[in-house]
Amino acid sequence: MTRKIKDNFRALVSSFREQAISRATDNFFIGTLFFQPVLFTLLSVGIYRYGGKPDLSLYAVIGAGMIGIWNNNLWTSGSIVQDERRSGTLEFLVASPTSLEIILLGKSLSNAMASILALGLTFATGLIAYRLPLEIQQPLAFLGAILLTLVAMTMLGMLLGSLFVLARAAGQLATVLNYPIFILSGLTFPLTVLPLWIRPLSYSLVSTWGNLSLASAAGLASEWTITTTYLALTGLSALYFVIGHYLYRLIDRLVREQGGLQQW
Amino acid sequence: MPIIQTNALSRTYISKTGVIRKQKKEIQALENVNLEIESGELFGLLGPNGAGKTTLTKVLSTILLPTEGTAHVLGLDVIHQAREIRPRIGIVFGGERGLYWRLSAMETLKYFAALYHVPPDIAENRIPALLELVGLSDRADERVENFSRGMKQRLHIARGLISDPEVLFLDEPTIGLDPVASREIRHIISDLSAEGKTIFLTSHYMYEVDELCQRVAVLNKGQVLMVDSPAVLKKTVADLEVVEIDAIGVTEAALAELQAHPQVDALHLEPRDLAQGLIIQSPDGASRVGEFIHILDGATIQRVITRQPTLEDAYVRLVGPEAMKT
Repeated sequence: MTRKIKDNFRALVSSFREQAISRATDNFFIGTLFFQPVLFTLLSVGIYRYGGKPDLSLYAVIGAGMIGIWNNNLWTSGSIVQDERRSGTLEFLVASPTSLEIILLGKSLSNAMASILALGLTFATGLIAYRLPLEIQQPLAFLGAILLTLVAMTMLGMLLGSLFVLARAAGQLATVLNYPIFILSGLTFPLTVLPLWIRPLSYSLVSTWGNLSLASAAGLASEWTITTTYLALTGLSALYFVIGHYLYRLIDRLVREQGGLQQW
Repeated sequence: MPIIQTNALSRTYISKTGVIRKQKKEIQALENVNLEIESGELFGLLGPNGAGKTTLTKVLSTILLPTEGTAHVLGLDVIHQAREIRPRIGIVFGGERGLYWRLSAMETLKYFAALYHVPPDIAENRIPALLELVGLSDRADERVENFSRGMKQRLHIARGLISDPEVLFLDEPTIGLDPVASREIRHIISDLSAEGKTIFLTSHYMYEVDELCQRVAVLNKGQVLMVDSPAVLKKTVADLEVVEIDAIGVTEAALAELQAHPQVDALHLEPRDLAQGLIIQSPDGASRVGEFIHILDGATIQRVITRQPTLEDAYVRLVGPEAMKT
């Protein structure tokens, strides 16, 4: 058992490293990681500032950072599988002794860690472009919120990765869902502007709780305590993990039954 | 016990046609395949494009499930014991896909060493040895995207050997390579066979299989037509003589007349630069050369030779000239 754990850990770390190397030279990834958070921050803060709501500027910065984190995980975790298909490596991964779940976990983790940069960039943009006083009331809690959000995003990325293995058209679906997710999660507008009947859907999304957790730790008014947001992120992470784990066991058999791993 | 064994193995694909009203179509890629391969054997699988070679390779290497029948590799069931099989086999597909272009050769092998659970201390020695074996030692730190096709194929082989597998599956490893690169790959395969590895090699290059393999199975339309050594396969056409005519301007009517000639057993065509190569199998081909040339009246004849049949001719007789067009 110890040998198996060591082997899987080494495979996970190697997948993490391979993903980091591949992404560092990928222009699309660089675009979603760097330019998109900056643009969203400029737009979001500008809208609130010049729309008579300057007190929401920090909220807008955090929301833009979360958009960067979400995009990075959605697109790159989904595109992990599509890229593996396109390059013809997916079959070799499925045929290796390491489970696809472990491999994609390593790669998703790599993407999630890189997305911390997105958050840093949104704060830097707010500071430089708008001279915002970006004071975080509870820095340690903010750090905790970042880490829990990244874990939850990693688990979500894993789940999405499994769907992308099964359905080649999942990428198109992800495109369609992008902006609805931003709005439902309160990343562009506060949740309070959304009708009550839609909020249960909002609260089922990890991006919502990530945003609330960061905002709460930053000292922005929120109906949810930091502890509640931590619990929600942990609970969602566990849920995504369980669903993803089950899906990966199903996937190993389905892809071998259907074939098509080399088609994209 | 054979190291690879299949029993009534079949594999069907379902494909969908149509846009609005989709219809399902079943494609029988493998049908009732029975094979036994012994440990240490270099076994060839010959067949035209679409015969089912890659499908069979994928079933045996646990990438695909069969739809009927059974297959065992190393005494393990490919359906239920795939996880036990995977660390002990290596898989190499021909072509440029299947590599991470932004990684170097060294990084690629390190990555797959981790995926195949090769202990780090063993990988540290094995990776340089593999790079040396495939002739990539001095290019180890270069990105794969800068490699030629031949170099990528050699890296594929190194990757397939990373776990020092007992069984190596090579699916058309020389496809698309120039003659020099192909020869280098064949040398590597030959050396691996000499080390005692069991190698399952698929190809549609007859000379490759003739040169390397101890036994050959001929596959066409998913069915195994014959399994034997190349020498025995060649004996199936021992009653024939082969006439090769390179000609320019051969009409369809002339071809049809040749095809219908009572002393022509099989006729298939090969492109030869600007000319057409007509390969005619006939029981007494050498004495019929004049008749064949007369039928081709009007065409410019560049070359005529008669020879003894090769493995390729045996193959053509088994699969039929139509299969050679795919």
